[in-house]
Amino acid sequence: MAEIFTRGASKIGGKVERKSILDLKKVVQLQGARHLFTSFATFPPSVVFETQDDGESVVVFLRQHPIVNLPWIVGALLMLTLPSVFGFFPPYANLPVGYQFVVTSGWYLFVTGFVLAKFMGWFFNIYLITDERVVDVDFLNIFFRKISTAKIQDIQDVNVTSSGAMETFFGYGNVFIQTAAEVSQFEFLAVPKPDVVGKILNRMIDLEEQEQIEGRVK
Amino acid sequence: MDAMGVIQSITLLGIVKLMLIVLLGVYAIFAGLMMRQIVAMTKAITMKDDFVVRTLGILNFGFALLTLFLAIIIL
Repeated sequence: MAEIFTRGASKIGGKVERKSILDLKKVVQLQGARHLFTSFATFPPSVVFETQDDGESVVVFLRQHPIVNLPWIVGALLMLTLPSVFGFFPPYANLPVGYQFVVTSGWYLFVTGFVLAKFMGWFFNIYLITDERVVDVDFLNIFFRKISTAKIQDIQDVNVTSSGAMETFFGYGNVFIQTAAEVSQFEFLAVPKPDVVGKILNRMIDLEEQEQIEGRVK
Repeated sequence: MDAMGVIQSITLLGIVKLMLIVLLGVYAIFAGLMMRQIVAMTKAITMKDDFVVRTLGILNFGFALLTLFLAIIIL
């Protein structure tokens, strides 16, 4: 897919786009929302990752479906209501007012940290499909992050699963990508429109094979 | 003051105060790390308007420092 700019390149909005990208845009088309908190977008504007090559374009940007955040949001809302019942517990009720203020502030601070950590876990857990590879950015907790990649030509198999009432109702599921790369399986978990993602990946694999046959791969 | 005097001067409120300040201090460090991690992640993947997330990290760290400061002043 990585093709020399001069061959079939065109200029759109001052940016040179490779022919392969233009082909992909015809096949994939613009889909999904373009805002910061989107969980599905094709050809997202302004998304750049650390190890991105020159001329490499992000074709699909994915996060887990926002509905997966529901359990911790409900938990956080319950935690926010707890200070109203603190007064019923003798250890807290017997504290001086100043201490009660600090304990309550500390509790809200803890809830803020909990919400931010959970939000970061969702926000920075990103799956990217570029015109050259798939990228899995794992953000397990605030001390651990991992970025795995595999080239499109190394993809051997793509499986899409969507099971369960929630997944069917909200239209999300899992995409499993088997590769011949160092990371043998990529798991795009709870992503929106898994069938569309699977179709795009299969189309990109076809394009890649076609280019290899035509000898257009660098 | 001898050791016995020190032990006798320890009150329950004193222990609570120390625990609160230590906990808030540890949390402030955690919030600082969280803020640093957000900056690192937004450098690893740049997105449009990602300053919003960086601001959330800074606000959380600011809130942690403010609460720690208030605890030291009030208690």
